[in-house]
Amino acid sequence: MIQFESVDKWYGAMQALAGVSGEVRRGEVKVLVGPSGCGKSTLIRTVTRLEAIQGGRVLVDGVDVGARGVNINRLRQRVGFVFQAYNLFPHLSAIGNITLGLTKLRKMGKAEARERALAELARVGLAAKAEEMPGKLSGGQRQRVAIARSLAMDPEVMLFDEPTSALDPEMVGEVLAAIKQLATNGMTMICVTHEMGFAREVADEVWFMERGAVVERGRPADLINSSAHPRLQRFLRTLA
Amino acid sequence: MLEILQNNWLLFLVGQYPHGPIGGLAMTLFMALTALALCFPFAICLALARLSPYRWLRLSATAIVHTVRGLPLIMFIFWTYFFSPLIIGRAVGGVETLIIALVVYEAAYLSEIIRAGIQGLPKGQFEAASALGLGYWTTTWKIVLPQALHNMLPSMVSQFVSTIKETSLGYVISAHEMTFAASQVNNVLLTQPFEVYAILALTYFVLCFALTSLARYIERRISAGRVAVATPAVAVAV
Amino acid sequence: MGYIFDLRGVLSGQYFDWFLIGLAVTIALTCAAWCLAMTMGIILTLIRMIPFRPFEWFVALYVEYHRNVPLLVQIFVWYFGVPSLLPRPARQWINGHHGEFLLATIALGLAAAAYVAEDIRSGIRSIPKAQNEAARSIGFGYLGAMGYVVLPQAIRIAVPPLINQTLLLFKNTSLAMAIGVGELTYRTREVESYTFKTFEAFAVATAIYLAISFGIMACGAYAGRRLKLENA
Repeated sequence: MIQFESVDKWYGAMQALAGVSGEVRRGEVKVLVGPSGCGKSTLIRTVTRLEAIQGGRVLVDGVDVGARGVNINRLRQRVGFVFQAYNLFPHLSAIGNITLGLTKLRKMGKAEARERALAELARVGLAAKAEEMPGKLSGGQRQRVAIARSLAMDPEVMLFDEPTSALDPEMVGEVLAAIKQLATNGMTMICVTHEMGFAREVADEVWFMERGAVVERGRPADLINSSAHPRLQRFLRTLA
Repeated sequence: MLEILQNNWLLFLVGQYPHGPIGGLAMTLFMALTALALCFPFAICLALARLSPYRWLRLSATAIVHTVRGLPLIMFIFWTYFFSPLIIGRAVGGVETLIIALVVYEAAYLSEIIRAGIQGLPKGQFEAASALGLGYWTTTWKIVLPQALHNMLPSMVSQFVSTIKETSLGYVISAHEMTFAASQVNNVLLTQPFEVYAILALTYFVLCFALTSLARYIERRISAGRVAVATPAVAVAV
Repeated sequence: MGYIFDLRGVLSGQYFDWFLIGLAVTIALTCAAWCLAMTMGIILTLIRMIPFRPFEWFVALYVEYHRNVPLLVQIFVWYFGVPSLLPRPARQWINGHHGEFLLATIALGLAAAAYVAEDIRSGIRSIPKAQNEAARSIGFGYLGAMGYVVLPQAIRIAVPPLINQTLLLFKNTSLAMAIGVGELTYRTREVESYTFKTFEAFAVATAIYLAISFGIMACGAYAGRRLKLENA
């Protein structure tokens, strides 16, 4: 579904991604961990070309994301992206955030779009908040609306960029529950997170990144408990 | 255009001086500087009054500021023109009239800038001062105003630019400044109004643009040094 | 001074009409210049969005000229200067069709456009880049993200400063008296010189200016409260 082929990314003289390779197959859940600035957010941002890359290729369903002539807007509709800072549109209500893409991009009728949006909100447990403005919602609720907004576009893959890092601790659970439910239903996803309990529960594979490269990868139980990965263990201790 | 400039540059620069009253660019700058300097104390008082804990003081200062902001400058100039002779008891010239009107007008706008400067200071500054046991006046003079004024330096330069532009209204009451000088040149030449007024516009532009650029430069320096103070949108378009 | 304040002298008969006509001209001038300012301000904003250097320079020069030259001088350039560059028939047409009103409108409108363009630009700049990114991530193109997400928010932010520009424009119409446009200030001086009731005449004009200005300020304050969005 997604292939990284020795991806290089530079910010000026600083190399953010150094020859990253890897594959995410349909239905798989990958969790990316690593210290801040290691390139994990940058890596998932390359999938929808939010970041341009200077070397290598990123393929979605066999299509080179960076190639000329690729309809990037069409591709982005198929790949959902959830941001750390939610990025809801503050001038639209919760349901308005969701119907915008449906009516303007999917050309759905108003009634149909509303129905679909309400179903997505119900899925994340927020049907009752449909008409609220984002400013009136808690952080956890905002992030769940943001997830519903992405899901409404029927994506084949979901990318999560530290979806719980900006949240107060008591709200982390509700957001993780929504993501877990998705994983259980077989959604393909890449999730950047520091929540190791979550990783252990849902990840098929954990990638540990450092200085722009994936330095360890493996099943979560193996990685987390193994003593064979000293740098990973050191990183995990800083989280605890 | 060059020929006009060659024959009339002195008039643009100093008016009819030494054969008549000084005018032109020299008078424009003199009036702007004097008005800004004289309005400064009033502006500080107005700003402090607007932030005062006393309701009546706050309300009357607010009323003054809003009244001034609600009136065209030209109305002020006419009020001053007709009534300062009555109050002072002797004839008042155009230059004095304009300066008086500008002092009142600018005080209101400058006070808004000073108020924003004071409000932009971190709360901790006031708390630290009162923790030291400093009184209101000591805090204001020694802690608040020096910092606020420093942060406001760019806005003050912009205000100087506004004032320079506003002195052009001296033309209406025949105060001898640069716009008046240009209209005199135009009345003599009669045939090249575009060239004359283009020279006038260009002169103002060079002067004001240089000052605006200076304001931007200072702003960058200050915000590089410490947190920038938000400047209010009160610059006058005259 | 033994002076008796008496408004009847300036508010009766033809003088009352003069004030009314003056007010009507002031309002007409404000509205006409406002429309020009908005149109030109939006055009300037659009030109500035095209990533082509000379266009950016042109807009920058336009904005700096109108901000750094006194408005009165701009009015003189248009009223005295520009017609002298035109062919004779055009000049005659202008003279025959209230040229002073037309040229004052152009001068006031074009000057205000520079400020309008700046207000719209800072509105757009104040929208976080993440909003654009979020819109693009749903699948919107540049125009869709601009039209449905960035601009609707930018306009909310730009409206209060634009109302403030309207206030300045309204006050600045008084400068048109210098080229003989019969607006409120001009008519006030006429009433004053016919009646010698200086104080009364200017009191009436001041009251009219203040009433309208306060109205505009109130709109600005209301819009500021109404349009404010909490971050999300």
